[in-house]
Amino acid sequence: MKEKRTIQSVEKIIAEFFRENRRMPTYSEMVELLGVRSKSVVNFWINKLVANGILTKDTKGFLKPARASFSLPMVGEIAAGFPSPAEEELRDLISLDEYLIGRRSSSFLLKVSGDSMIGEGIKPGDLVIVDRGKEPKNGDVIIAEVDGEWTMKYFRKQGGTVVLESANPQYPPVKPQSELRVAGVVTAVIRKYH
Amino acid sequence: MDNLLFQLHSWPRAIIHVDGDAFFTSCEEAIHPELRGKPLIAGGERGIVACASYAAKRLGIKRGVPLHEAKKRCPDLIVLPSDYETYSLFSRRLFNVMRRFTPQVEEYSIDEAFADITGLRRKHRASYATIARSIKKEIKQELGIGITVGLSLTKVLAKVASKYEKPDGLTVISGRHIPLYLKELPVEKLWGVGHATSNYLSKLNVRTALEFARLPEETIKKHFTKPGREIWMELRGESIYPVVSEEKSTYTSISKTKTFAPPTKNREYLFAHLLRNIESACIKARRYYLAPRKIAIFLKKNNFSITGVEAKIFRPSAYPMELTGLVKNLFESVYEHNVVYRATGVILLDLMEDRYIQYSLFESPVKIEKIEKIYEASDFLGEKHGKHTLHLGASHPIDQFGKGRRGKPTARQATRFFGETRRKHLGLPILHVKV
Repeated sequence: MKEKRTIQSVEKIIAEFFRENRRMPTYSEMVELLGVRSKSVVNFWINKLVANGILTKDTKGFLKPARASFSLPMVGEIAAGFPSPAEEELRDLISLDEYLIGRRSSSFLLKVSGDSMIGEGIKPGDLVIVDRGKEPKNGDVIIAEVDGEWTMKYFRKQGGTVVLESANPQYPPVKPQSELRVAGVVTAVIRKYH
Repeated sequence: MDNLLFQLHSWPRAIIHVDGDAFFTSCEEAIHPELRGKPLIAGGERGIVACASYAAKRLGIKRGVPLHEAKKRCPDLIVLPSDYETYSLFSRRLFNVMRRFTPQVEEYSIDEAFADITGLRRKHRASYATIARSIKKEIKQELGIGITVGLSLTKVLAKVASKYEKPDGLTVISGRHIPLYLKELPVEKLWGVGHATSNYLSKLNVRTALEFARLPEETIKKHFTKPGREIWMELRGESIYPVVSEEKSTYTSISKTKTFAPPTKNREYLFAHLLRNIESACIKARRYYLAPRKIAIFLKKNNFSITGVEAKIFRPSAYPMELTGLVKNLFESVYEHNVVYRATGVILLDLMEDRYIQYSLFESPVKIEKIEKIYEASDFLGEKHGKHTLHLGASHPIDQFGKGRRGKPTARQATRFFGETRRKHLGLPILHVKV
């Protein structure tokens, strides 16, 4: 039986052509490539790819690949062989990268050296992702400069005053005396074992 | 006369120019908060000041000054090696923040970009000046670096605006205020006006940008070429240069230069460096599927004087193996015996797409195909094990005598997280604070 055409399979065919020829195929080439009978079918699939953000059209209307991963196999491909309704679902998968790094443009990595957040499960040697653009909310783990010292603490706001608490009974809560500068909010913790 | 307006309409176009303030050192201050406000320079690995922080600039340290001179001026100067990986990450973020406001963003250099925000007032429910302010605020908050923003009607004027107040400035030049900002500006400070043009202008008795903009149209038509006419129009608020948001996908020339330490008299070693530059340039050319029609080489003596020579290539090629013979001849023609050299460089010129190269009648296609195969393998090995894993024998002395790398590694090179390799790093900048 002939294989059913899906967005993934069409993308794959076009991506292969693109990799080999370093240009997008023309509509008539795509008639051949996709094994369809007319350019209007090609147009149908192109519109689908454009709607899904896989291809875009430039100012002159020429097609070009939109996703950075156009030349890489996609996450969805692992599931090749699933029935097609499931493949639609797989479109909505996010990578671990996207999952851990909420806002890429304001996220930084930081390697933890102290044990002030040990009760929160953040150990020395762990990597944390710090979002610089986020306003800290009550209970957030933050990185801050307090009176010239850098710390990682819980951010607690009581009335108008701010108290920084650690998750380690050895360190008492800190009330900033002269200056508090929040460098960012910790959005994820990473510990890699192997 | 001075009050004559060029533009009655305030915003026929709205173009923003964003310029990083001492970009390299700003990035360093963002990831090393303890360095903030200190006299700081990047460029340690090159032996010259590539970028000086504002604290260092206040002490009189300028870009391009040799390191030892800078140190003499300011003994407690902090010297960092340039960390291009981190700077590139910041650069990409800068452009991405701008793209939140408009898709029409032109990446002009690592720390400069233009954005066209014409017609976006309604979308953002804000005036053009407010949009500019928001861009500036978001970049500052999220990246932690200082930038200067200029907003005006054209690219040339937006550049004038971003230069007007620096650092941390925001200057808005609307149509009716153009003369105000051009009055005091020396004409040679304009974007696109070089030595030749400004000399010529001074013969016409034009010293300020305003005087240039006030020249009558007939004079401009008679005395200037196209670029001059375009700058003249842009100065008068008529937008000629569009903001081009297409990513750079091709080059017209590729150059590679490397300064080595200590300087050398050794002929083989010098030639090896030249060849290595050619190998590097060719790798880049092949990555973009390009091949040069012309090649230029130059040698820099220890007194900074440069001698160079260029030649046409018989058949365009980005394979060093085919170029060595020619390069050897070029090298011989400029090399002087018993002279101390400090750098070599190469420029691949007139690049064309490598798919349209024709073999000539007297060449052996079999041999060329063999060379192609070798470089296919070389590029594959380079991807896997690092550039120049497979290189020409004649460029081998570099590895024998050392690459002449100076100073300490960057903080990024010194940090390796579990799971990272020497070449592959996580794609986020690292905050270097102890918590």
